[in-house]
Amino acid sequence: MMGPSTELSVIVPVVERYDDVAELYRAYKKGLEDSGKSYEFIYVIDGDFGEVMEVLKRLIAEGEKIKVIKLARWFGEATALTIGIQHSSGSSILTLPAYQQVEAHEIPRLIESLKDYDMVIARRWPRKDSLFNRIQSWVFHMLLNPVSDFKFHDIGCGVRVFRKQVAQEISIYGDQHRFLPILAHKYGFRVLEVDAAQSQKDTSKRVYSPGTYVQRMLDIFTIFFLVKFTKKPLRFFGILGSSVFTVGFLVLLYLLFAKVFQGVALAGRPILLLGTLLVVLGVQVFAIGLIGEIIIFTHAKDIKEYTIDQIIG
Amino acid sequence: MKDLSVIAPLYNEEESVVLLYEAIVRAIEPLHLDHEILFVDDGSRDNTFRIARELAEKDRRLRVIRFRKNYGQTPAMAAGIDHADGKILITMDGDLQNDPEDIPRFIEKIGEGYDIVCGWREKRQDKLVTRKIPSKVANWLIGKVTGVPIRDNGCSLKGYRTEVIKAIPLYSEMHRFIPAMASIAGSRIAQIPVRHHARKFGKSKYGLSRIYKVLLDLLMIKTVVSFASRPMIWFGGMASLAAVGGVLTFAFTISRWIRSEGDSLVVLNGTAMLLGTLAIFLLFAGALGELVYKTGNLKINTLADIRASLTGFEMQDRKG
Repeated sequence: MMGPSTELSVIVPVVERYDDVAELYRAYKKGLEDSGKSYEFIYVIDGDFGEVMEVLKRLIAEGEKIKVIKLARWFGEATALTIGIQHSSGSSILTLPAYQQVEAHEIPRLIESLKDYDMVIARRWPRKDSLFNRIQSWVFHMLLNPVSDFKFHDIGCGVRVFRKQVAQEISIYGDQHRFLPILAHKYGFRVLEVDAAQSQKDTSKRVYSPGTYVQRMLDIFTIFFLVKFTKKPLRFFGILGSSVFTVGFLVLLYLLFAKVFQGVALAGRPILLLGTLLVVLGVQVFAIGLIGEIIIFTHAKDIKEYTIDQIIG
Repeated sequence: MKDLSVIAPLYNEEESVVLLYEAIVRAIEPLHLDHEILFVDDGSRDNTFRIARELAEKDRRLRVIRFRKNYGQTPAMAAGIDHADGKILITMDGDLQNDPEDIPRFIEKIGEGYDIVCGWREKRQDKLVTRKIPSKVANWLIGKVTGVPIRDNGCSLKGYRTEVIKAIPLYSEMHRFIPAMASIAGSRIAQIPVRHHARKFGKSKYGLSRIYKVLLDLLMIKTVVSFASRPMIWFGGMASLAAVGGVLTFAFTISRWIRSEGDSLVVLNGTAMLLGTLAIFLLFAGALGELVYKTGNLKINTLADIRASLTGFEMQDRKG
């Protein structure tokens, strides 16, 4: 559809939330025109969004150049993005949410910032949304930020510009799209956070189901593990396992002492159960760490620990 | 394929790069080998890369690999080894503490049929308390646990036969254990004394990591390397231990019950069952380990195969 000279591929994943599609498209388009770059629009429809499809068809009929990729069922945002990127021809990728998040007139400035960086992410600032949303976001980032030495303030913002190379080197799955900037930073890409005006319409109070919050916590745990201990599972499980084991062992030692020197029968000591349980748990955690090590050890030749910037000669 | 690759990781070594390059060239030029030099810039923040690039533009035999950020000494060595094209690989420090003049003796040793030649720093020019003593202790411990007594695991100046080192998984801080891993495959290891110079510029960038890391790594090496090819044996052993404990506790419970001393048996019974579950868990973990090992792409056997084929090659050589 577009020539090979496309500078920017704009990917809009429609996954869950979406606002007035035509209105948002026009706003984004205006922002992109102002940037002066050549661009292409790719909408990735993750499952059944009949209404969105209708509007997009109408826009195409009106002569708008939009590439629409419809997935057969719901796959999740990370997959939607990955597929969009696979079908893109631009040298840089701009992801935009299908709902109002950042004012479209901020787009040229974000694209401009990519000049000296590999990835630029927007940070909605100043915030206009409800106090509840802000607290919720603050707690999330407080838990998240120990993972990386780059302090992110708005990882949930879907407005991101990055070089195609970033996406090519980092494979994401499940819900990891959220953490793409963290992974990019870990891979040694230069990441920049740029303040951008929050959209007036991005103010609704967002309360999620308890399951979603649990999911987020698990996401943080996963990303923590991916970033910190990929190569050394035993460092994590080993320390955890051996501390649990030690506590259990001390309990058992105390019981043995009481039995031998004070003649207290083991059968009358429920704490024996706790001691044994801790020892058992310790050994199990340790064993999981060892299995992790075997996985890394036997696959070490596939997993590169370093990323190369360039090779001379 | 070239005859020789010399690999040196560089991290903020702008003062040393040129001196290092000249020293290496001076040392290996007289050997008249088809050689290459690989500098791995480990994400330096100073002019290291710029200087190295200028050198590489003048000398085609110098290649420079630049990391996107700082990853540490082992990944830098690993990258050099992955990209090296020589039949013999020499790794060394980029800070001029190793002397390139020692390189020919490494090549000589490999020519004698050794697979790995480790240098040991004869008159080490480092601080006694913070560097020499911890390293002595670590070497002793690594030697005891792995059964491969290497005098100086921390010395970067080493020589390898390419087939052997390329088959060894190298990640995190595993460079300390290369000889131990290689010896399992039956590699022949030689050790030669090397010169060691005090730092001319800057200060030491790769310090001794915390002791717990070394201990856990050591434990991992011991179990994974000696049991990776048969995880069932290791886990099975642990499982039997737990099973024996469980059975004994259970027997004890029964004996109490028969003598019916009237007290509750819940605690003892519970303990027996916990140990029983642990035994079952460990058995399954062992099975999982076997599965992982089978689907993995590195097998200790591969290393052994390489060793065998190398031996075959030498034997043919001698006949001919």
